[in-house]
Amino acid sequence: MKHFTKLAIAAVVAGITATSTLAQELYTPNLAYRTGPFAATGIPLMNGQADYLNMLNARDGGIGGVPVNPEECETGYSTEKGVECYEKTKGRAIVTQPWSTGITLQVLPKTNVDEIPILAPGYGFSPMMEGKTFQWAYNAPAGYWDAADMILQYIEGEGSLEGKKIAFLHLDHPFGKEPLPVLEAAAEAKGFELVPIPVGLKEMQNQSAQWLQIRRERPDYVVMWGWGAMNAGAITEAVKTKFPMENFIGVWWAGHDADLKIVGADGKGYKSISWSFPNPDAPVMADIQKHIVDEGKTQSNPEEMSGVFYGRGIVISAILAEGIKVAQDHFGTAEIDAKQLRWGLENIDMTEARISELGLDGMVPPFKTSCNNHTGHSGGWMLEWDGEKFVKASDLLMANVDSYKAIAEAAAAEYAEANAPWPVNEECSE
Amino acid sequence: MLNDIFIAPFADMIAAPDFLMQVLWEGLVSGVLYALIALGFVLIFRSSRIFNFAQGIMVVFAALTLVGLHSFGIPAWISVALTLGVMFVLAVSIERVVLRPLVGQPDIILFMATIGITLFLIGGGEIIFGGENKVMITEELGIPTGDTVLEPFGGLLILQHLDITVVVVACALVAALLAFLNYTQMGRAIRALGDDHQAALSVGISLQTVWVLVWFIAGIIALVTGIAWGARAGVSFALEVIAYKALPVLMLGGLESITGAIIGGLMIGLLEKLFEIYWGQPLLGGNTETWFAFVLALIVLLFRPQGLFGERIIERV
Repeated sequence: MKHFTKLAIAAVVAGITATSTLAQELYTPNLAYRTGPFAATGIPLMNGQADYLNMLNARDGGIGGVPVNPEECETGYSTEKGVECYEKTKGRAIVTQPWSTGITLQVLPKTNVDEIPILAPGYGFSPMMEGKTFQWAYNAPAGYWDAADMILQYIEGEGSLEGKKIAFLHLDHPFGKEPLPVLEAAAEAKGFELVPIPVGLKEMQNQSAQWLQIRRERPDYVVMWGWGAMNAGAITEAVKTKFPMENFIGVWWAGHDADLKIVGADGKGYKSISWSFPNPDAPVMADIQKHIVDEGKTQSNPEEMSGVFYGRGIVISAILAEGIKVAQDHFGTAEIDAKQLRWGLENIDMTEARISELGLDGMVPPFKTSCNNHTGHSGGWMLEWDGEKFVKASDLLMANVDSYKAIAEAAAAEYAEANAPWPVNEECSE
Repeated sequence: MLNDIFIAPFADMIAAPDFLMQVLWEGLVSGVLYALIALGFVLIFRSSRIFNFAQGIMVVFAALTLVGLHSFGIPAWISVALTLGVMFVLAVSIERVVLRPLVGQPDIILFMATIGITLFLIGGGEIIFGGENKVMITEELGIPTGDTVLEPFGGLLILQHLDITVVVVACALVAALLAFLNYTQMGRAIRALGDDHQAALSVGISLQTVWVLVWFIAGIIALVTGIAWGARAGVSFALEVIAYKALPVLMLGGLESITGAIIGGLMIGLLEKLFEIYWGQPLLGGNTETWFAFVLALIVLLFRPQGLFGERIIERV
């Protein structure tokens, strides 16, 4: 009996200790993909994300004095594993970062029930911009429909779209099909011909058939929605078939330095729209160098750290950290929960001054979220490969959200109806 | 509709013969590479009745080892030699650690063991080399990278020197392999094991030596395939997926037939490209390469369950 009492006391003490230990951190799991066919894209992004949050832990003791636990759960970009990771981490999570459109679509209805915000910066389901319907989902600072609109704006800046032919080379996956509604509507409105060309997962590195089709169709431009190994495959085929690189434009996930380095100078002129840009002189980079790199705590390397994707990883974590900070200030507590973070994420006001205060100068355009605007619509820059690195090829382009607002509202309503009963934020009137 | 299926595609071929030649060339290059991967499967299956699930990851592992060694400043051709050494050590290790303890076990156990080898090589490869996309050392190996532009029928035909090299090297490798299997003692030993395991063992053929040898040859094939594919689109773990393209080749050609692997690879490479360009893209929205080869293999299996060149297996019941 004595032994039993001691054991019981020990168990209670251990339980209390464990509970207090768990409570003293902000658990922000990341459904990462450092392995598999998409690892080349995932690794620099995950490194940037982890290094920023670890830097905050080292420099400031976390956010509001509470350390952040940015634990990764490896999905290999597989939707099934992503859902497993979500289920495994949701117990303590104040946010989930699904890292693929397929995983986002799967966990979207679950987060509504579990009341955990999804943070999917620059990816996910585009109608998530309708915050009134998608209360728990955020894809700030920009969505795929913003990207499609900005790319078309850029092309239009080189001459009218009427009568032009645009090939849409995309991964045959939910991610690749995301911008189709906006591109199809724009094709009808602006009088250009859209030729969708899907690339299967098994064909990512052998796209000769797709590029033969491009040769036959003779499009004026190729717009690419590529991820992972698809990008390098497409860019090498474009070089091989002598497609004019200046007329080849990718979404922001198709603008990875390592993919372009495979073709080097032959890829000169290739473009990619982007809501982030690396700035080695930004104060945040010096802080990461001091607190993480010099301490031997990074998994990255100098070459990767100067690239677009590492910088984007930093920005993604900075958006999360800002959401946490806003929630902490509003609710007057450092140990916020998922519901409070939801409020924080829809009240981010990333002004130029705030971006500078965070040390992110030039790395992300200003944006603002609200209860009905979960995307922020920051706009983006057109980046161009100069043979060695990406450089800015345009001023900040802003998406014309009004041109596809009706499509977003219709898609959100359709989603809510298909998943009825779907709770809508009636308090949101914006 | 009938016009789109039976007349328009052929009219397109006649109207643009240069484009047809380009399609056939691209199909031939793909076919040669499919055949090469399929050969790796066939060699191991012939000698041990093991379907080597790890063939795809061996391609990645060999290519990563080559690029990784070169990144330490080792000259390209010495890196190739060292990579071959690594593939030999891998072959010996697989025979000693995985296969030898499983001799006599059902085929499915050995198949599962190759899945284990796959997982081990994926994990080990990622720990050693990382998952980033790497640039193949094409120029350092002296592989030509330019192109030759021809104008047949007043049109355009682009032949990449890399692709020409791949076709030539693959053909040379296949020829060397056939010569080895037909005219050397060890080659005949491999064939003997493929024909009749018990009989081959009874005349003193060493199972262990032959297994090491075939896994090493599969490693050489993996290295050549890895260089060829890696030079086209970089070296990453995505290369593993390409190996699955060899599955319909094996179904079509037969698991034991070297001739089947070669002819099956070429058939699938050419037919899937022709179908995709002239029927798939105009009528089905494209991306038919994902399934075409499997449907073709399925149709063949309906009439010849052993594949086009496979041996008909008759078992006593």
